[in-house]
Amino acid sequence: MAQSKLAYWGLVFLIGLGVGGCAPSTTPKPEGPTSSTSESKSPAGQPSGAGQSGGTKESATAPGSLDALQKGQSTATPASSPLKDVFFDYDRYDLRGDAREVLRANADWLKKNPSARIEIEGHCDERGTSEYNLALGAKRAQSAKDYLATLGIAGDRLSTISYGEEIPVCKQANEDCWRQNRRARFVVIPTRPAS
Amino acid sequence: MMQTILLMLSFLVFYPGFAGAQFKGEIVGQGGQKFPIAVSPLKNLGTAGDAAKLSEGLADTMAYDLDLSGWFKVLDRSAYIEHPQNTGITLGTFDFKNWSTLGAEGLVKGGFSVQGDEVTVELRLFDVYQNKERIGKRYTGKVKDYRRIAHKFVDEIINQFTGVPGIFNSRLTYVSTSGGRFKEIHVSHLDGTEKFQVTNNRTINLSPSWTPDGRAVLYSSFKDRVQTLFLFELYSGKETKFSPRAGRLISGKVSPDGKSVAATLESGGNSNLYLLDLGGNVIRKLTEETGIAVSPSWSPDGRQLVYVSDRAGSPQLYILDIAGGKSRRLTYSGGYNTSPEWSPKGDRIVYTGRVGSRFAVFTISADGGDPRKLTSESSDSEDPTWSPDGRFIAFSSNRAGKYQLYITQATGENQRRLTGSGGDDTKPSWSPRLD
Repeated sequence: MAQSKLAYWGLVFLIGLGVGGCAPSTTPKPEGPTSSTSESKSPAGQPSGAGQSGGTKESATAPGSLDALQKGQSTATPASSPLKDVFFDYDRYDLRGDAREVLRANADWLKKNPSARIEIEGHCDERGTSEYNLALGAKRAQSAKDYLATLGIAGDRLSTISYGEEIPVCKQANEDCWRQNRRARFVVIPTRPAS
Repeated sequence: MMQTILLMLSFLVFYPGFAGAQFKGEIVGQGGQKFPIAVSPLKNLGTAGDAAKLSEGLADTMAYDLDLSGWFKVLDRSAYIEHPQNTGITLGTFDFKNWSTLGAEGLVKGGFSVQGDEVTVELRLFDVYQNKERIGKRYTGKVKDYRRIAHKFVDEIINQFTGVPGIFNSRLTYVSTSGGRFKEIHVSHLDGTEKFQVTNNRTINLSPSWTPDGRAVLYSSFKDRVQTLFLFELYSGKETKFSPRAGRLISGKVSPDGKSVAATLESGGNSNLYLLDLGGNVIRKLTEETGIAVSPSWSPDGRQLVYVSDRAGSPQLYILDIAGGKSRRLTYSGGYNTSPEWSPKGDRIVYTGRVGSRFAVFTISADGGDPRKLTSESSDSEDPTWSPDGRFIAFSSNRAGKYQLYITQATGENQRRLTGSGGDDTKPSWSPRLD
């Protein structure tokens, strides 16, 4: 499938650069299905289209959270991913110092991979109301996007989506889990062929 | 698809001005004594078999409803002296003493006969104290819809006592994981029967609410990846997708006149309220927030919206005057107040508020006075919704582990769990009265 072949291009490029070298030396586990043709549920030509990124065997980046949920995969960003999550305080969407640091590293990767486009996911912990958390997640994703833009990343390479509290990465009801869930994560969107 | 409800009723006896005044023990009022009532299994008046299911099933459904209302004490059936098949169902054909002995002050008796897939049910409410018949009704419907007949009669009983019909022929729509990882929209009766799954797209579907005619459910979904609203018509299966030009629709509620939708649209990180038509097209933007404005709920007259804004630094409730465009803050106590719903009576607003590290259901007067906490903060109770008569509230709580749906009187009294699905059941929305 030409589309998904192109999708791997950015990742191949990334591996070639040796970015993401902080990953453990083990081979990335082939979590995804071996062929993206198994994705019968997603209609073609969806607007934000992170859907086709889930099937990469050598992927250093994570699939989008909704794809991972649908496939029953972990929604955690792998340690090997060059694009790290940023974390937020409860009911806040302003960027902490550690978040800015991570975003600078993410911006550096985006500068080295100028054709890569990313979708920024905003997430919340489970406390509070679903609808408010969807809006809060959108704010978090936007904060990350705005900061990347101030670091020189073109806005048309960055899209946002909020999953609110709906796709937690950690499921226990305690603060250790909640702080892992209050995050923005960065998913490389597969490149699409011009048609 | 859900079947159109065919339920014909004819009135056997009707007492126009009677509103419970002659019964001993008024059922309305806080902390009042529950009214002791017996609900006899029904007499099979026909010849068809399989009668046990209907005899007990009709009585069980009525007993469940009466008990759930919190106003009645339904007497234990095992103590009943009369056998329904050996006594009559009309005045003079049974002995009131057999019921007064048990402490019953009210008595429901009735009979049924099955013809093919239809059942005719006669139901009567007797005043045991005064040896009088208070209501008598005959209903005909499909055998499989027998519970609706029982719900209808309980609504009549409650009307006799309070002057306002009950709400047992209504439904809840809610989000359920049904034990899996996807969130799907479901519809069921309060007793958990007649379940219908609106969505089955194996993604995340949220915030279902009813159109005022009870014929459709509006919900938000990620099924096409970008979150937007869908209007699903229950009787035809027709669905309308809302496709805004820009942004994402987080939630919406159809207006009381059924002609427009108040929705939250997120764009560029900012969430604002918009007025949409029923095709999802923007009529106009209602708020100009640079932060978060979500969860609009209509006042019954359709002139105002109560919603959540974080403009003061934490989520609080505000009321927007739609024509004037001005909003006023409603809640001042608590650092996190969300998910408001305006009472059908118009006087109060129910919402979720944070208490310490927990969430509880509150009501507050629409003028901002008299906030009342209805649920305990020993667990979380969230996403409240009013019954169509404004006398009950349903909500979701994790007090027994998983999130399940509960019902309470609007005062907070008589909190009862509704049947659970086995997964997490959240975000209930109560339908209007249905047939």
